[in-house]
Amino acid sequence: MAKSAMSDIDANAVAAATIFREARLLDRGEWADWVAMYREDAVYWVPAWLDEYETTSDPATQVSLIYHDARRGLEERIERIESRKSITALPLPRTVHQISNVEASETGPGQISCDSVFAVHVYDPRIARGHVHHGRYRHLLTRDGEEWKIARKVITIANDRVPTLLDFYSI
Amino acid sequence: MNAPLRNEAAQLLAISRLVDDRPNERIFQVDRSIFTDPKVFDAELRYIFEATWNFIGLEAQIASPNDFVTTHIGRHSILLMRSAQGKVGAFLNTCRHRGTVVCPFKQGRQKFHVCRYHGWAYDSGGRNVSVTEEASGQYPNSFSDENHDLVPVARLGSYRGFLFASLSADVPTIEEFLGDTRAFLDLIADQSDSGALEFVPGASTYTFDGNWKLQFENGLDYYHFASTHSSYVDILKKRNAAAGSGAGHPTEADDEKEGQGSFSFDHGHAVNWSIKRAQLYGRPLGMDPARLDAVRQRVGTMRAKWMLRQRNLTIFPNLQVIDISSAQLRTWRPLAPDKTEMVSHCLAPVGESAAARTLRIRNYEDFFNASGLATSDDNVMYELCQTGYEATTAGPTQGYLRGAAQPGTGPSVHAGELGVHPPEWSFGAPGFGGETNFHPGYREWRRLLQRAAGKFE
Repeated sequence: MAKSAMSDIDANAVAAATIFREARLLDRGEWADWVAMYREDAVYWVPAWLDEYETTSDPATQVSLIYHDARRGLEERIERIESRKSITALPLPRTVHQISNVEASETGPGQISCDSVFAVHVYDPRIARGHVHHGRYRHLLTRDGEEWKIARKVITIANDRVPTLLDFYSI
Repeated sequence: MNAPLRNEAAQLLAISRLVDDRPNERIFQVDRSIFTDPKVFDAELRYIFEATWNFIGLEAQIASPNDFVTTHIGRHSILLMRSAQGKVGAFLNTCRHRGTVVCPFKQGRQKFHVCRYHGWAYDSGGRNVSVTEEASGQYPNSFSDENHDLVPVARLGSYRGFLFASLSADVPTIEEFLGDTRAFLDLIADQSDSGALEFVPGASTYTFDGNWKLQFENGLDYYHFASTHSSYVDILKKRNAAAGSGAGHPTEADDEKEGQGSFSFDHGHAVNWSIKRAQLYGRPLGMDPARLDAVRQRVGTMRAKWMLRQRNLTIFPNLQVIDISSAQLRTWRPLAPDKTEMVSHCLAPVGESAAARTLRIRNYEDFFNASGLATSDDNVMYELCQTGYEATTAGPTQGYLRGAAQPGTGPSVHAGELGVHPPEWSFGAPGFGGETNFHPGYREWRRLLQRAAGKFE
């Protein structure tokens, strides 16, 4: 079967490279490079669980754990941490993002949707306590010239009873 | 009285003395061990949480027949249900047969709850409808003569849709227990034209490695805001600068004296409030002038004014209701001396506009979620306190006397505006953050422990 002009990309390779880079930047605290991966109008959404089986589905009428409809919301979180005024970041925990089961597909011209799973190991040196946040990611990537940007990221956390706090670096 | 009971009574009295309350000498001290000692913790569960009124849910959570939610009072799992006939009931969620948790689900709608262990079944009114194979002749008459229904809580009360339950029958009526705090529940409920409140779907649960009383105190503590939450305040200021000077934010009249204050009530309750010329955030009630006018018409200008003032209400021992940039209802469940589970809901008047609802939700996520920009700071602070409390040789902490220099005991202008009669109140400049409003909770704490000791004598 002849390939269309737009599908001469390897969606899986593009998505994996993007998502793994995002994980590396988060784990290394390279916040500026990390947030630059997002489009200015990017949606960053961590739904809450309604019951044992279902998450919230509408951020306008339901409460999410985190919902930002622009990159600005993430930038505020970074500023808060860098201000050294938030005790949550004094000290910052050390994190390791492990991501696998990457399944991507091209969903339109210059657009890739990708499902993956994550386990983020968080270690808080203040109390020598570790925790694993685990769940699923769904990324929507769009092409911006030569670059791929994150247009939307949905993070579904399996273990949603939050120990003390949760922020962008720990999921 | 036998020796073990005498020892129990003596131990409870000794625990109760860990709160040193001498109002005439302006001394109020709390021993650090009440945050760390397992014996104190056990006494609190048994003689405080499991012996007085606890908030257990909103009637709106079980709006239809056969709706249920599960929750806790102290260590007891509670099944809150609306029967097929529409009656609200609260039961101990433990099978009469072998003690199994009958309903292991968070919420739902079921006519019957069947214990999966041996199949005993209960209807949504808590009545036993089936003891498996009871007719097979294996049970003696003494068994058949027994009642097999789910055990109801000793007392169940409702005020404006807020449901409270007590495992002890030896409590005042719910109206007497709530007292003047009812005026503050009214200020929330009456923001709805129908007087109905609801939880916005998407409650969250979080834990902190600290004692429950850290949350109790923090909810009444305005002193910490400027330091603990300075990073959040910076964000608000930056947003306001970008959007232009707080357009649509509620304001107070020019002749209104700015400041912060509190009312202390009976039975351990207290409320904090503030009067600010300009607020850093928008309010769902304030964003729609036409709706605000309609509310003013309905409740009067005075109560509408109070609806727009920040209010942090604590109903001892397990409930806080906060109405600021959004409204939050949170409860705590003590898991260990150094571990507390919090359940947090976004509270909303039924019938507000879609835009107001979305603002309420965004503001709530910002501030109140453990994944937000403020509660997360509180939780870490609690854990630093908990670790610090282990330093018992440092003596009692010095966190209970701010504001005690000028306690208010006579008539209060602000109490008069609402028609409430707090036995003690405070009011100070905008930077005022008293700690005397923690005293009612600790006095009730002590009273309940002493009452329990008295029952052994």
